[in-house]
Amino acid sequence: MATVTYDKATRIYSGTTRPAVNALDLEIGDGEFLVLVGPSGCGKSTSLRMLAGLEDVDSGRILIDGRDVSHLPPKARDIAMVFQNYALYPHMTVYDNMAFALKLRKVPKSEIDRRVKEAAAMLQLEEYLNRKPKALSGGQRQRVAMGRAIVREPQVFLMDEPLSNLDAKLRVQTRSQIATLQARLGITTVYVTHDQVEAMTMGHRVAVLLDGELQQVDTPRALYDRPANVFVAGFIGSPAMNIKTVALTDDGAQLGSLLVKLTREQVAAAGTGDNRQVSVGFRPEDIDVVSASEGGLPLVVELVEDLGSDANVYGHANINGVEERFVVRTTGRNLPHMGETIYIRPKPGHYHVFHAGTGKRLD
Amino acid sequence: MTTISTEATATPAPPAPRETNTAESSGLGRFNPLRLLNGGFLLLWGVLTTFPLLWAMMTSFKTNNEILTSPWELPSSLNWDNFARAWTQANIGRYFLNSVIVVGGSLILTMLLGAMAAYVLARYEFPGNRIVYYAFVGGMTFPVFLALVPLFFVVDNLGSVPVLGPFITLNSYGGLILVYTAYSLPFTVFFLSAFFRSLPTAIAEAALLDGCSHFRLFFQVMMPMARPGLVSIGLFNFLGQWNQYLLPVVLMPDEDKRVLSQGLAALAVSQGYRGDWAALFAGLTIAMLPVLIVYLIFQRQIQAGLTAGALK
Repeated sequence: MATVTYDKATRIYSGTTRPAVNALDLEIGDGEFLVLVGPSGCGKSTSLRMLAGLEDVDSGRILIDGRDVSHLPPKARDIAMVFQNYALYPHMTVYDNMAFALKLRKVPKSEIDRRVKEAAAMLQLEEYLNRKPKALSGGQRQRVAMGRAIVREPQVFLMDEPLSNLDAKLRVQTRSQIATLQARLGITTVYVTHDQVEAMTMGHRVAVLLDGELQQVDTPRALYDRPANVFVAGFIGSPAMNIKTVALTDDGAQLGSLLVKLTREQVAAAGTGDNRQVSVGFRPEDIDVVSASEGGLPLVVELVEDLGSDANVYGHANINGVEERFVVRTTGRNLPHMGETIYIRPKPGHYHVFHAGTGKRLD
Repeated sequence: MTTISTEATATPAPPAPRETNTAESSGLGRFNPLRLLNGGFLLLWGVLTTFPLLWAMMTSFKTNNEILTSPWELPSSLNWDNFARAWTQANIGRYFLNSVIVVGGSLILTMLLGAMAAYVLARYEFPGNRIVYYAFVGGMTFPVFLALVPLFFVVDNLGSVPVLGPFITLNSYGGLILVYTAYSLPFTVFFLSAFFRSLPTAIAEAALLDGCSHFRLFFQVMMPMARPGLVSIGLFNFLGQWNQYLLPVVLMPDEDKRVLSQGLAALAVSQGYRGDWAALFAGLTIAMLPVLIVYLIFQRQIQAGLTAGALK
């Protein structure tokens, strides 16, 4: 039960000049499930390891429950971590793996036994307690790693891509189990993943990182509906948002034959810095397929992904002499064929407008 | 139930058995000159290595007369008293005990210090880390003959150390133990640091998060994980130290303190006028047995240790 605060926390690896994590400011509430997400090399794992005490904090501070832990060793921070490859002790049984931390803390034997048995029951590991990790499947090992963290009853759980070594089906299953478990235990959790689906489905809030900089932190819904910049807009959502940089007119953005109407404030903001262009984005599901007479943008279909309930249509359209690729989500019936031309039109009011230079969202 | 169902699924798939047939014919059935050469070479190698061993063991049961008149024949009866004679009259028993004390002590010290040094050099970064490491590696290139004379004086001078002096000077177990340890450390550190480096970092981090101190991390987590490496290098050191001859000749001249290899040499030298060949071979067998036994026990772990680096 604790809050976690990153206060301008910075990590610069020796031999490099660019910080791996640059002045990260982040408040994580008591009992919150926060997901750090971003492409590989964005600093999400480094941020987590700084909190764990496995990386130095070069400047700034990290606080757990208001206590500055920036320069404390890992064992003084009262945290438990689940590693990507589980990092179970290969020479110990499942029971000993879970009991190890408690033994080090000189917890009485009966109490250790109670806690381990309880965690094992919670994770359906009772029959494997006497096995070595070698004799377990990937999913079971993952659960042992979870169990080892749970028995500690720490102030904060840290999870570093704990699902990435599982197969697709097990990953989806375990995803919901972890979320349920976290809700039940109510322990503050920081979870790192590169998978935006995991981030969106598990986190109370999601922090998006790129190149060591925090881009946006918000609820999954808010991230999806109001991305703060072009990167977040493109990163969150699958298939990705269609983002096109087009000419800025007095009324809005000129998307080929279509005019995307913008408010006067948006036009003014987009024009700052003597900018004559603007980036507009539409989610694939926010695009309607219309008939030729309704004045849509002609799109030559390249690929149709039929997902059953709906379908993703990929194609290209000519915008001011440049072939631009689009993806449109339509219902699963009456799908167009490859090579066919369809007409598309963004739903009014479902645009995302960004400054073409800075990439910042304009409202 | 399950056997029936597997049979049922196996029968309608003829290509699979045919494939295994062709694989077999190309592998074992067909004449393969290279395979024959390999097999023949291994057989020859095996005979070359085991024959002298077996011959020495066989000879240790013969009488002196039999050894000189019919060296290739089996012993007419098992003369166990050869061993008794070697053990008591030729003092092999005494030398055996000396060897056990010296090698036991130096092996424990080598493994403990070697593992600790290798672990720190492999997994902790600090200024001078590489210098210390290369100093150890450099020690491997140092021929022992070059050091013999200075070493003699160094160990002799150790006698003037207050209190401890008599235990670590010439003709003391402690002195020889220290020299053996120093002599074995370079390769031990070299080998084990490569081994410790190959162990996953995440497990060490997990242990630190679980609340381990660095000492506990080493002894309770990393050492057990490095077991195959420790066993193979331990055995390597045991063989080397058990068969060590030159260092004890220089540093243990006292007859009471001789180790086994010295004792056997003395026995061989005295053959000139006493002629007890049977006792010599019995002593040789006694000296070989611990090595063979240790090797048989740890055979599988040695293989694991030698191949572990290749698999990671």
